Amino acid sequence: MTTTMSNPAPAIEVENLCIRYGGVTAVENVSFIAAGGEQLTLLGPSGCGKTSTLRAVAGLETPTSGAIRIGGQTVYDNRAGVNVRTEQRGMSMVFQSYAIWPHMTVFENVAYGLRVRKHGGAALADKVRHALDLVKMGQYAGRNASALSGGQQQRVALARAVAFSPSVILFDEPLSNLDAKLRSEMRIELRELQRRLGVTSLYVTHDLEEALAMSDRVVVMRAGAVEQSGTPAEIYDLPRTAFVADFVGSANLVSGDVVASDADRGTVAIRTKDGLVVHGVTHGRRVEQAGTISIRTVHLSLAAERPAGEVNVWPVQIMRSVFLGDVMQVHVLWGAQELVIRRIGAPLNIGGEAAFLHAPPERCALLEASG
Amino acid sequence: MATVVAMVAVLVLYPMYYLFQAALDVGLPDTRPPTAYGVANFAKLLDYPTVLWNTLVVTCAATLLALLFGFISAWILTRTNVPFRRTLDQLMTVPYYVTPLLGALAWSLLGAPESGFINQVWRKFFGTEALIDITSPMGIAWVMALFEGSVAYVMISAVMQSMDPALEEASAVMGGSRWRTMWRITLPLVAPGVLGAAIFVFAEMLGSFSVALVLGTPARFYVITTAIYHFVSQYPPRIALAAAMGASLFAVMFAMLWLYRWLTSRNSFVTVSGKAFRPRVMDMGPLRWVLFAVVALYVLASAALPVATLLFAALQKLAVAFPAASNFTLDHFRQAFSINAVRTAMLNSIMLAMVTATIGVIMTGLLSWIILRSRLPGRGVLEYLAMFPQAVPRIVFAFGMMWAWLVFPLPVYGTFWVLLIAYLTVFMPLGVRTISGVVLQLDKSLDECGQVCGASWWYRMRTITAPLLRPGLLAAWLLIFVASVRELGASILLMGPDSKVMTPAIVEAWFSSSSELTAAMALIQTVVITATMVVFGLFTRRLAQRAVSAP
Amino acid sequence: MLEPTTRRRVLKGGLAMAAMPVAGALLSDRLAAQGRPVTKVHDFNTAADIAKAEAEGEFTFYSHDSEPAIAGILDAFNKDFPKIKGKYVRAQNSTLFTRTIAERSANKFGADVIQFSEPATALDFQKRGGYSRYVSPQSEFYAPEHLSNPVGDYFWVGVTFVGLAYNTEKVKPEDAPKEWKDILKPVWANGANVKMSNSGMQFVQWYELRKLYGDKFWGEFAKLKPRGFDSRAQQFERLAKGDERICVLAEYAGYLLVKDKGAPVEFVAPADGLPASPLLCGVADRGSSPEAARLFIDWQMSPRGQNHQQTNPYLYYGSVRKDAPPMPGGKRLADYKLLSPTKEMDAFVASRDAFNKEWNAMLGL
Repeated sequence: MTTTMSNPAPAIEVENLCIRYGGVTAVENVSFIAAGGEQLTLLGPSGCGKTSTLRAVAGLETPTSGAIRIGGQTVYDNRAGVNVRTEQRGMSMVFQSYAIWPHMTVFENVAYGLRVRKHGGAALADKVRHALDLVKMGQYAGRNASALSGGQQQRVALARAVAFSPSVILFDEPLSNLDAKLRSEMRIELRELQRRLGVTSLYVTHDLEEALAMSDRVVVMRAGAVEQSGTPAEIYDLPRTAFVADFVGSANLVSGDVVASDADRGTVAIRTKDGLVVHGVTHGRRVEQAGTISIRTVHLSLAAERPAGEVNVWPVQIMRSVFLGDVMQVHVLWGAQELVIRRIGAPLNIGGEAAFLHAPPERCALLEASG
Repeated sequence: MATVVAMVAVLVLYPMYYLFQAALDVGLPDTRPPTAYGVANFAKLLDYPTVLWNTLVVTCAATLLALLFGFISAWILTRTNVPFRRTLDQLMTVPYYVTPLLGALAWSLLGAPESGFINQVWRKFFGTEALIDITSPMGIAWVMALFEGSVAYVMISAVMQSMDPALEEASAVMGGSRWRTMWRITLPLVAPGVLGAAIFVFAEMLGSFSVALVLGTPARFYVITTAIYHFVSQYPPRIALAAAMGASLFAVMFAMLWLYRWLTSRNSFVTVSGKAFRPRVMDMGPLRWVLFAVVALYVLASAALPVATLLFAALQKLAVAFPAASNFTLDHFRQAFSINAVRTAMLNSIMLAMVTATIGVIMTGLLSWIILRSRLPGRGVLEYLAMFPQAVPRIVFAFGMMWAWLVFPLPVYGTFWVLLIAYLTVFMPLGVRTISGVVLQLDKSLDECGQVCGASWWYRMRTITAPLLRPGLLAAWLLIFVASVRELGASILLMGPDSKVMTPAIVEAWFSSSSELTAAMALIQTVVITATMVVFGLFTRRLAQRAVSAP
Repeated sequence: MLEPTTRRRVLKGGLAMAAMPVAGALLSDRLAAQGRPVTKVHDFNTAADIAKAEAEGEFTFYSHDSEPAIAGILDAFNKDFPKIKGKYVRAQNSTLFTRTIAERSANKFGADVIQFSEPATALDFQKRGGYSRYVSPQSEFYAPEHLSNPVGDYFWVGVTFVGLAYNTEKVKPEDAPKEWKDILKPVWANGANVKMSNSGMQFVQWYELRKLYGDKFWGEFAKLKPRGFDSRAQQFERLAKGDERICVLAEYAGYLLVKDKGAPVEFVAPADGLPASPLLCGVADRGSSPEAARLFIDWQMSPRGQNHQQTNPYLYYGSVRKDAPPMPGGKRLADYKLLSPTKEMDAFVASRDAFNKEWNAMLGL
């Protein structure tokens, strides 16, 4: 692992990647850069092309066009006619199915990449033990791989992926087959491991929490194209499109005609069909005649009395509230539209069904036009 | 990879070319290369409507019957708590090794209307009429189905095993009875698999020769393959007509394969995945003993009874149902051992079959891998190509191979090489089918992971793919081995003076000596094959143990 | 080529004996013209170069006969000439022909000696220049009609002939057929067996009985739905087991084979004659062991080879050699009235297609 430390981890650059299967386009013009040592996550619903992109980086899928560079080295470029074979790309990968070889012991599974690289003897045993210790599987080395539980297999897969000190690791939904508790534990461990090893990693998941918790940067994909990329906070707070807003976390989307905007201060106001005016911020996004504003469920607050001197205060009717454990989810009728509010604390004790809804304007983000 | 593709193309397309050339030959008789081309030979097929009709009737009846055998046994053995399940499962494959030829000989001894043992016994106690007539079309279909039923069983039970039992459990939970579950859930879900088995079995039946020859000829009943046989063996030989008949069968089977693809691609049942589930077993109560009897009866009729019959016949001077001390003899065995063919050709057969099986497993293994796992353009075509040799009756295809390898620049003709080439060609579909089944069940990422770890293709093949495929490869080895030893159609035509094999000699004995001598030779061959398989089994087991115990 | 006058004299003489001096004289001319010294080995004359033949060491025999039959002949020859090993390729007559023709078209000449079971096949092979002409000193012991024309391409290595046979448990002797025309009795419906159209012997029987009883004869017989088989062993086994009651194409050789096992089978020789068909053996052109091939032909024609043909149970073929001893059972071939289209070969060969058609239709094909 010392070698990894001394050499800065390489960046992964994907440029205008297109993958077509027959007439179907799986990935269209996808570009992103994962800087050295960074964990970049491809996030999206199933079928959005994230796994195809990952497999293209691994070389398991041959793209139709575009370019892929690792540490500045071109591994694929259709115009230059370069397509380096998977086994020569020098990466590592953790598969969704773990791909633990059932005919080998845990030790042999982990040692595989080292044996390929002609390691042997005590050095090999050392590295394998080290990798197994890293995932707390040291005492299972002699076990037959087929006799492991799901979580143990996952750990072995991880140990195998890091044992030969790769500088790039690809993760294909490695946690999706684990139960919820194990998943949240492994999430943290994986992130720790990635930081400690200082490797560049490309991570594919459809799980928002996983993406937010583990990534330096997130690329949200939809229908084969990049919808938005940025830090987890950016993605979460400033969804670019209705799709991201909806996918990244529960958000309320309200649309209407633009009635006011101030380019200098970056503010905007829209009026819905029901005549309700919503003030929000543009974050430099272009303002057109009509617009959509995203308001996260947690940024909305309810009160029995009208809060004084505030903008973005509307009377609403409470329809029902649902107990979700940590939070309470309240559905209200806002004009003719239903909005969802999540709040912490005791169930609401509002006398009637009418209440006042408030949203801080700085939390009301204008989405990019024509999303 | 390119080598394998090229090899397959040459093995299959090269003889095919000569076969079609012959089918279109309307020039001077017995002149090569042909002096004129035309389609007149195909038009002549219509002169034989009875043969075409007979073929259709027998093939359809036999296919239905074989599927029935296969489906019922598969259902009993995968879905019910029938006693001795594992043993029965193993016994179900025995008929395949008994082969239709031996089966037909045995059933002919058992069920011929006059001399059949069963009819002799029946007449002795119950009257003058024959009880069964194995030479009737239904008798022929019965014998064909008995031996093909084993193949149907293997294919259908694989499908049933790969079906998620939850689908059946859902029916049970909602109050569906066992029978309702079977007919409304199980059957429709395995339908594509059964259809696949049906088409495969139909193709086998269409090309099957020995049963119709042994049983049909006495009843003046001919199917396409036996008609072909008579056309090539009469003088002047009507090779062109035979080739046209073979080519037509090829077209029929090709159409069926295409139809199968079309049907299965239209309604895909994703529930039937390659993943192995532990099938849910229904408790049948006391009925399970009835089910046991059903399967046991099938094994009895298709394996135990034929072998016992052959042994009983081989020990008599002139085989009859009621043994007499004066009729007892060991002469047939003595004679069988004294025939050159049994001594030298047997060894040749075994050696050749071992080489064929070894190369065949490697070749068809790589081929299956390319078809299922590579991203090679045109691999779908390769899959069809690999199935070609199955689609033309062996007896005609052998001529194509003879013409092809005769003019081949390397002097392979008349040597063991040409037999090896021929066996590799005709058993390609068998190998690909067997190994594909195993490859399909193997998770793709197991190989990809090795790839990402930086292992080269050969390294992965050696350390990951081949070890994981080992059980499937061993099964394929045995299948090809047995099929090679038992090969008849191609060997008869391609054996040279220095390359003699065993099976033609057995059929020869049937023609030139007697059923009793034939039975003796067939039994000797069976014993040798079994012994070889046992030795092979022990050998590989020891190898496997050594591999496991190694660090 | 026999000159027309000579030929007429041969035909006129009828008996082979009468033709002998003429044929002999011609033969000696041809032998002399061949320019090969004649030597005596064992007890027969050969014009083959024995030293060369032994140097060749082996030869390949292509034959239609059964595996044990061919192996037996080659073993017997090998006993007389231990330095020469015979190998063989066997296939049914037409397949052997097709295979050999295909091999020759690919410039492969695997056969040194080739034997067919049908005159038409041998004639066809001769027309294609398949034989290497060699006039054996043994030819003088054969009538011209038992040799190829011109002499030296092939000879009648043996004759198989047929009568009738019946199962004695199913048929009383007084009900058994005695004459050929008895086979038309309705009682034999579904109870008679014959050979398939691929049999040269069957072709001769068809031809000869049609000559005796008219063109409708076989049409009548067809109504009885006879069953066709590939070999005499199958025919007689079925007869012995009672699957059929009579065998209409009963080869004497086949009869002897089951009789040995104590089968309830009786042979009948109809008075109007026994159809007989030759087996024709000759040296193949451009083989790799020509001298061994010639020596083998001489041996086959000699009393040694002919004795083997008559007495080996896999063969039991009658010898047409003029000084042939009696066959097993004590009778000579000459004691039977044989029916063979020797004198009208062209008409006979020309009717092959008509036979195929009628016979296949009769057997349900």
